[in-house]
Amino acid sequence: MNHHRFILHLNVADFAVAVERVVDLSLRQKPVIVAPLQAARAAVYDMSEEAYRDGVRKGMLLNRATRICRAARVLAPRFDLYRKAMASFVNEARSYSPVLEYGAEDGHLYLDITGTHRLFGTPPDVGWRLHRQIRSKLEIDPIWSLAGSKLVSKIGSRLVKPVGEYIVANGDEQRFLAPLPLHLLPGLKGFERQRLSEFNIVRIGELAALTRMQLHGVFGRRGETLFELSRGIDDGAVRPEEAQPPRVVREHIFSNDCADRTVLKGVVTALAAQLGMELRLTRMAVRRVGLQLDYTDGATISRQASVRKGTADDDCLQRLALTALERALTRRTRVRSCRLIGDRLHPRSPQLRLFSDSTSGQKKEHLLAAMDRIRQRFGREAIRLGSQPVLP
Amino acid sequence: MIPLRVRSCFSLLRGTASPASLCRRAARFGYTGLALTDLENLYGLWSFLAACEQENIRPIIGTEIETDTAGRLVLLVRNETGYRNLCNIISRRKRKESLSVTSESAPLFEGLVLLSRSEATLKVCRELELEAAADLGNRPTERGSRLRRLAADLEIPAVPVPDSDLGEPGERSLHLLLRAIAASETLDSALRGARDEVHWLHSPEVYNNRFSVWPEVGRASDEIAERCSFGRPSAGLLMPPWQNHGRQAAGVVLRQQAYEGARQRYGGTLPVQVVDRLDYELGIIEAMGFSSYFLVVRDIVQPLQPDGTRKSRRICGRGSGAASLVAYCLNITNVCPIRYNLYFERFLNPGRSDPPDIDVDFAWDERDQVLAEVLGFFGERAAMVCNHVCFKPRGAIRETAKAFGLPGYEISRMTKRLPWFFKRSDLSLQEQISTLPALKDQDFSGPWAEIIERASGLIGLPRYLSVHPGGVVITEGPVQDYVPVEQAPKGVPIIQWEKDGAEESGLVKIDLLGNRSLGVIRDAIGNLRTNGADFSEQGWHPEDDLQTKAAVGAGRTMGCFYIESPAMRLLQKKAGSGDFEQLVIQSSIIRPAANEFVREYVRRLHGGRWEPLHPALEEVLDETFGLMVYQEDVSKVAVALAGFSHSEADGLRKVLSKKDRELRLRDYRDKFYRGCRDNDIEPSEIERIWAMMMSFDGYSFCKPHSASYARVSFQSAYLKTHFPAEFMAAVISNQGGYYSTFSYVSEAKRMGLVIDPPDVQVSELSWRGKGARIRVGLQALHGVSQETRERILSCRSKQPFRSFSDFLQRVQPAENEIQVLIDSGAMDGLDRRGNRSRLFWEAAAREVKTGPGGGGLFPAVEAGSPPLKEQAPIERLRREYRALGFLCRTHPVNLIGKGGVHTCKGVELANHVGRQVNFIGLLLSGKIVSTKTGEAMEFLTFEDATAIIETTFFPEVYRRYAHLLSAQKAYLLRGLVEEDFGALTLTVERVKLLSNTSELHSTAG
Repeated sequence: MNHHRFILHLNVADFAVAVERVVDLSLRQKPVIVAPLQAARAAVYDMSEEAYRDGVRKGMLLNRATRICRAARVLAPRFDLYRKAMASFVNEARSYSPVLEYGAEDGHLYLDITGTHRLFGTPPDVGWRLHRQIRSKLEIDPIWSLAGSKLVSKIGSRLVKPVGEYIVANGDEQRFLAPLPLHLLPGLKGFERQRLSEFNIVRIGELAALTRMQLHGVFGRRGETLFELSRGIDDGAVRPEEAQPPRVVREHIFSNDCADRTVLKGVVTALAAQLGMELRLTRMAVRRVGLQLDYTDGATISRQASVRKGTADDDCLQRLALTALERALTRRTRVRSCRLIGDRLHPRSPQLRLFSDSTSGQKKEHLLAAMDRIRQRFGREAIRLGSQPVLP
Repeated sequence: MIPLRVRSCFSLLRGTASPASLCRRAARFGYTGLALTDLENLYGLWSFLAACEQENIRPIIGTEIETDTAGRLVLLVRNETGYRNLCNIISRRKRKESLSVTSESAPLFEGLVLLSRSEATLKVCRELELEAAADLGNRPTERGSRLRRLAADLEIPAVPVPDSDLGEPGERSLHLLLRAIAASETLDSALRGARDEVHWLHSPEVYNNRFSVWPEVGRASDEIAERCSFGRPSAGLLMPPWQNHGRQAAGVVLRQQAYEGARQRYGGTLPVQVVDRLDYELGIIEAMGFSSYFLVVRDIVQPLQPDGTRKSRRICGRGSGAASLVAYCLNITNVCPIRYNLYFERFLNPGRSDPPDIDVDFAWDERDQVLAEVLGFFGERAAMVCNHVCFKPRGAIRETAKAFGLPGYEISRMTKRLPWFFKRSDLSLQEQISTLPALKDQDFSGPWAEIIERASGLIGLPRYLSVHPGGVVITEGPVQDYVPVEQAPKGVPIIQWEKDGAEESGLVKIDLLGNRSLGVIRDAIGNLRTNGADFSEQGWHPEDDLQTKAAVGAGRTMGCFYIESPAMRLLQKKAGSGDFEQLVIQSSIIRPAANEFVREYVRRLHGGRWEPLHPALEEVLDETFGLMVYQEDVSKVAVALAGFSHSEADGLRKVLSKKDRELRLRDYRDKFYRGCRDNDIEPSEIERIWAMMMSFDGYSFCKPHSASYARVSFQSAYLKTHFPAEFMAAVISNQGGYYSTFSYVSEAKRMGLVIDPPDVQVSELSWRGKGARIRVGLQALHGVSQETRERILSCRSKQPFRSFSDFLQRVQPAENEIQVLIDSGAMDGLDRRGNRSRLFWEAAAREVKTGPGGGGLFPAVEAGSPPLKEQAPIERLRREYRALGFLCRTHPVNLIGKGGVHTCKGVELANHVGRQVNFIGLLLSGKIVSTKTGEAMEFLTFEDATAIIETTFFPEVYRRYAHLLSAQKAYLLRGLVEEDFGALTLTVERVKLLSNTSELHSTAG
């Protein structure tokens, strides 16, 4: 029996820029930076390979980035557009396998095409075909790489970035990896990289030359992981969306990073209201609300607040969100973005209460339902509480 | 009414107005008096008293203290006793002692008026017959109404108070910023926290209107002010007391000891000159009552030991005290005042009322011990003087930006390019900063404009107290009877005033300062002796040594005390003489704003013709070629030209070095101009001479001080000339010279010395020199803790390390320390295979075995080390540089590719005078100066493996390249080689940044 798997990794380098280049052909071959405009302290959201080579990095202040790369065209991010593009990108892939894993608008996608050769031909053919299909339909040019595991296919993509394809035959992993520099290997921790450089080990093959025992001897329990990584061993399955615990996420990125608590509270309240509407529409309830704050210096702090009984009520969600905010606001640095995550989801019981809630509770429920209807018809910002700011 | 509760900016990180501006405002409103009540301190007392005098209003000294039960209590001083009690109360509060008004603590409140809002406290005060009044706040309230009724029942007054933190309403945002900084919060959090009202000082009409319902309260405040008649703490000198063990008068003991010392200094029979001078000095000292002061200083410098002998310490007397032969004979100073023409009158003369000033330098690492002895011996009768540290532009911008929530790296990018000092100018901070060439590529958009604007409000506000570098006051009784005392973070007691305040109050300060070079000389000589050399300091006269003079005259003085800066070395090269007498002049003439005088000095020294400034000055300034060089020359000129008395002239000299000199200078200026006119001096001449006097802004020395320093300079130069390895090792070991360790290492290599890398088998803690080699000390290992270094030495002293694993086993260094030890080469001696990668492997394996989880049920099986490649040479160098900050065997510039350009080595520049050259050098240091037209330019020092090169960046070039320049980076320079009296400089025209030395590998060619 054949145990070989075939994992296809597709990656659209600098996804936002790639999408913008589809829309505006004049942007091709020119340095491009995507960042909010008209904000004094805007940070770079994405940049093209040309800008990257000049030293521009994600999260860098736009003012600094444009000094480093004076020729760059700067575009305002269009998140809706990227979301749509990502959805189309995923859809194209979906027609080849139901087992696919992808992130949010980042242009990365794993596709498990094991056992599909009777339907679509050999795995490399699938790669070629999917690539051609995406290029002709979406006009973007993803890197693709085929291997027996997520790990090796990802290394393949890294190797050919920004354009190209790579196929690693099953059983050929070690030979493929051996001459590659260590920095292409994902999953190494900072101190492990440092230690390896102290041992003067610079290529993956040199790492793979060490025995399991030797690795255990200098890396302890992590030795096993290093042993497998260096040999391209990765049993990790492609985890389709359905297999991941359900959650609802809403995010806001400040164009000017924000140090004002009042504004932060307003934004978090508004995100909670969006979360509430989504939950009510899908007839779900959450038992936990988490808040992730990305500070402007790169630090991230996540805090949660939970309730015993699931809720989709705006007031309750806002209370949870604000509690999480209080817990997360531990630093004096500005906040670049905040992400509100509702999880521990369960369906709301359609069963009515035996002893009904107070009339005020009912009234509130009716009010929320009415507001939701208005929003569905006239847009998310058509009606809101006075204390909530308008979010884009 | 009189405002009885007003806080100034000395209520740190809360109040916004200076005492001076409060007094101005009070006077403008027509108040006749003002009480300054800062929170538990008298920091601002002297500026408050001065401002009151200026504005002609009556000062009331007071404070606000926190009590256990009664909230804030305002204390106002009525009389001498009250002042002493106030100082004691504040000192106790600063020691975190709790305080409340009870029958036990009642004596502590005598002589004070207490203002309180606590009904219970007012009742207790009444019972204990303490003077108290009800504090009604700054507007009538219900609570105030109750208090007023209670006061009437108790028959005590009730008074309105401003209770203000601000001078005027516009300072509210500054106040909020200060609170945000104090609480380490963002500005908007401070806003939320500051719901309580913030008040400012209103005019009397406002308070009268508000309190018109209670008409009697305004009068009550006047009456209280009337009773607080205490004007200022007692004048008169408070000399340190001398413990008279032998029951002999201080004068007698001093005479005896001075003669005894003289016989040691000059041999058995004393020359007539010495005897005459001693008698003369002793007469004046005795007459002025300073005999005990000399004896106290002597006891500090050379304390008596239990066996009756005196402990000898390496010292350097500084300041005008070095002009005293008595001090020289007591071994408080080291330069013979007779040989070098140092006038005693500069130090003490009967016309002066201010205290004598004997300052002593000790080796920097022995100074704290000396201080500890003094503070230990005198106990609560001694304390150190403090510094009020104020916001400067850099810190103000930094703190404001933090309150705006900007991340640290963004703030650093901005502030690290700011100069430490700004010229006083009419431009706003924003304008000054945006025109700085070094900030050319800085982005000022977004919140920065607001940050800088707000930060400018902070500049000059006091922020915290630090310890004065060495000032100690010693008093007859406990210090806290004279001035509030608090504990500095480093654990020493400090008084709440700066040196000027201490002087105003009559406290006599003794400066006990740390001096690195005394440590250098000590260690170099110590190193010599351990090497077996026979070196005696008895009869050591380095200033007469020809080789030393030649080295000084050639500017080969890097590492030598006070004469190693680029400006000083260039000056010596130009002077070319290496004479002690000239060095004394040079040490004082080098100062900011005196460039033209330096040039003129060199010209005249080489025989250039010169006319005296004025015929009357011919005699006075003859020794210094007619130039004003020393501090006292200012006084001399004022006496000779404008008919000043000696004490007036001395007053002028002193004012010149004060921070706030402008105002006080005005009177002297008028008097000087008047006096000169009376002597028929042309107005343009007066202008010129006055301008010359004004260039003395606190940087010049008096001659005795200069001579005292020049002696230490010569000692260092002697050691450098004759024992280069020992000397350079001592310079680096003592750290903190003008240059970095990196630069001293380069200098040592240029001197032909070999630098041996650190080695755990042979290195000592400090660097050691012998013959033509220097061994790097363990102290050079960045990131290896002091404990580990000492453990290495103690383990080694028991038994040398047998192997790397033996070392790890016994020393147990931390993981990051192992890295530094290996990378620096300190382990090479234990590495038989010459493979550092394998050492790392061995260390890691050991760490896993002994680390957490390693000692589990099944210990990790030890596997043999795999065959690892040795690091590439360039990688080794990169790691060595990271671990040590310098390279032992080569210079980083040698590793940088030239990119096909023809370049000139540093030593070859002399062959290219007058021509354009390319030069690759590493930037060491720089000094920004301002041209006559106010443009910034910079003198920068670069080096390559062969020489150290001084360069000039004129304003236009500086503007173009300033933002590229930072220390320890390598540059390709193109410019013109110029020569002036034998000193070479490179006038730079083009600059290219080559690389960061920490990225050596990327440019190795």
